[in-house]
Amino acid sequence: MTTSSHTGHAQSTDNYLTFTRGIKSWMFTLDHKRIGVMYLVSVLASFFVGGLFALIVRTKLLTPGEVSWIDADQYNQAFTLHGAIMVFLVIIPSIPGALGNFVLPIMLGAKDVAFPRLNLFSYYLWVTGAFLSVYALLAGGFDTGWTFYTPYSTTTETAGVIPVVMGVFVLGFSSIFTGLNFVVTIHKLRPPGMTWFRMPLLLWALYATALIQVLATPVLGITLLLLIIERAFGIGIFDPGMGGDPVLFQHFFWFYSHPAVYIMILPGMGIISEIIAVHSHRQIFGYKYVAFSSIAIAIFSFLVWGHHMFTSGQSELMNVVFSFITFSVAIPSAIKVFNWLATLYKGAIVLNTAMLYGLAFMFLFTIGGLTGLPLGTLNVDIHLHDTYFVVAHFHYVMMGSALIAMVGGIHHWWPKMFGVMFSEFWGRIGCTLVFVGFNVTFFTQFMLGSQGMPRRYYMYQPEFQTYHVISTMGAYCMALGFFVTAAYLLHSLFFGKKAPANPWGGRSLEWQCTSPPPHDNFSTTPSVGNPYDFSDVRWNEAEQGYEIDPNAVPSKDTH
Amino acid sequence: MRFFPRIFAADARVTPFDSDAARFDARRMGMWIFLVVLALLFVSTIFGYLFVRVENASTWLDGNPPPPPTILLYSTVALLLSSWTMHLALRAAERGERAQGKWMLATLGLALFFLTLQAFAWVQLIQENLTISTGLYAWMFYVFTGLHAVHVIGGLIPLLLTTARARRCEYGPNDFGGVLCTAMYWHFLDGAWIVLYLTLLLGSR
Repeated sequence: MTTSSHTGHAQSTDNYLTFTRGIKSWMFTLDHKRIGVMYLVSVLASFFVGGLFALIVRTKLLTPGEVSWIDADQYNQAFTLHGAIMVFLVIIPSIPGALGNFVLPIMLGAKDVAFPRLNLFSYYLWVTGAFLSVYALLAGGFDTGWTFYTPYSTTTETAGVIPVVMGVFVLGFSSIFTGLNFVVTIHKLRPPGMTWFRMPLLLWALYATALIQVLATPVLGITLLLLIIERAFGIGIFDPGMGGDPVLFQHFFWFYSHPAVYIMILPGMGIISEIIAVHSHRQIFGYKYVAFSSIAIAIFSFLVWGHHMFTSGQSELMNVVFSFITFSVAIPSAIKVFNWLATLYKGAIVLNTAMLYGLAFMFLFTIGGLTGLPLGTLNVDIHLHDTYFVVAHFHYVMMGSALIAMVGGIHHWWPKMFGVMFSEFWGRIGCTLVFVGFNVTFFTQFMLGSQGMPRRYYMYQPEFQTYHVISTMGAYCMALGFFVTAAYLLHSLFFGKKAPANPWGGRSLEWQCTSPPPHDNFSTTPSVGNPYDFSDVRWNEAEQGYEIDPNAVPSKDTH
Repeated sequence: MRFFPRIFAADARVTPFDSDAARFDARRMGMWIFLVVLALLFVSTIFGYLFVRVENASTWLDGNPPPPPTILLYSTVALLLSSWTMHLALRAAERGERAQGKWMLATLGLALFFLTLQAFAWVQLIQENLTISTGLYAWMFYVFTGLHAVHVIGGLIPLLLTTARARRCEYGPNDFGGVLCTAMYWHFLDGAWIVLYLTLLLGSR
């Protein structure tokens, strides 16, 4: 790793990576940056495993009939594992845990999150949850689907159900404590001058996310606990034979899991707000609208869970109400997309890797969002429910948006995190492969779904095979893209050019400290201004990076 | 840092706050949020009960299940008393008075007494052949009392740690955050138990 001593802004030579040495200094670190890096490594490792299961599923689907190398039960386990790992171990903790932990305190101008020990504890809860999931896999696997719907999850014979449900329970508390930490940090650790409306939009998004994490996850916790008790003792709150109701499970589950969708997407939107503004060097358009739309999405998120249950036998009145509120979510989402577009307009756009991911996000999120509308329409949903249309829709939002934003964010902050520059050439190639592969994989699935291909099936009608083959090819293309990405990022760690403090011309506080940042984040108290006022940012040829021109006439704080 | 002196590096930054007052403020806010989380846990459990109760309105009390044992009344009193001693401990800690240790110890004792009584209530019901698998009525009883007891048991850990410090009279006007957070948690458990107990009483008729 490099040391950062000549980056112009800071005189200190310490950086958080080399501040203390040895494995123990990492395992028991209280530094939010190191905890962020540990999250990043763990989440990416889980992403690799979850991706392998996705490839197994896609490879099976190349042929419509039975195959010798994976039987139907194993197939059920493969897609369950793919879903459970990707949702609970990857996407939910990815942006808050990894990037959020790293950049939130620095962006805010704080030394750390409010409760550093709680932060480390959250990370180890994540590790515990991950180990329980692995144990579940070894103990006999689980094939319930990632949603653990009863009565299936209480009656299936796979022995891994209780361990994995316990694992998700623990992961839930990891998420709650991260959210709690972020809320208190943003309330209590803003330095003088950092008003709410001077916070970068990522912080607004993380704040809205943290509120959902804190308010929704306990409901999942109790649901999973009841599920464990039901499975272990045979009592029947979810069992109609004993007076219980499986629909209650669905209400409970989606009361968490729909907001959880926004736990996944909101931080992604925050990252995109940063990427779009910084890489087009233009004041973000409609700052307050973007900020408040995050809060609006957080509020709406609690009112739409019933749209997962249009076919579960809830009353028609509830269906209509949930359908109506579901459409309302389109408003704050569209506000964001249009504001990003307006930010790009007449901006000095640099098409580097991070920006390409940002643009990919806007494209994919628009498709993902717009295909949500037909699914929110009652009569159309009856036809599309549990088909590949739904699969394609949520992959556009979960993967095409949340994960792409995560990858974009990794590129955006990579120089800051590790003090090295990656290869933009290979970065663009990786991004292109992922983008093309993603669309080939999942756009095809819209066609499959609208023609009636149900999700989660091991065997299917031969007329669907062409689409399935195309989709699988897309998945391989995407996998190749991610391998390229992993390769050049790892390469950059050892051979990358040393990163300047501010490689992209960002104006928020994290670009004012060295790359990588010192242990205390700032050697001198940073000056807080409009995080999107790029008028005084100048390119410095000698440092190969941007710096803030102290002689520039400060423009008016436009919000 | 005091409780875990060895595992963290000597120069580790335990708190990012510059002043004790700011840190205290943040801890209190964090505790409030944590209590909201726990409240949601209990509220959704009660919601689950109401959901199945409404669906089974006519069959809920089939077979004349035994009502909550009278022993729960005594345990309720014990818990209320422990809340009171906790409050006295907090006031003593705020002023740095010696009495803090005594009152913390009393709270700890009452907490253990409460748990013992809850256990007796379980034993009594099991002797009356009401186990958790009997039906949804029994489910309600055991899940409510069990969930609450788990939180009391969890609360014993901070209670033990703060009691140990209070015995040495270590809390004073500038440093009583530990007692405050424990007290907040304890009063919350008290309130949650009252709500659960009332729901149990109403649910048994």
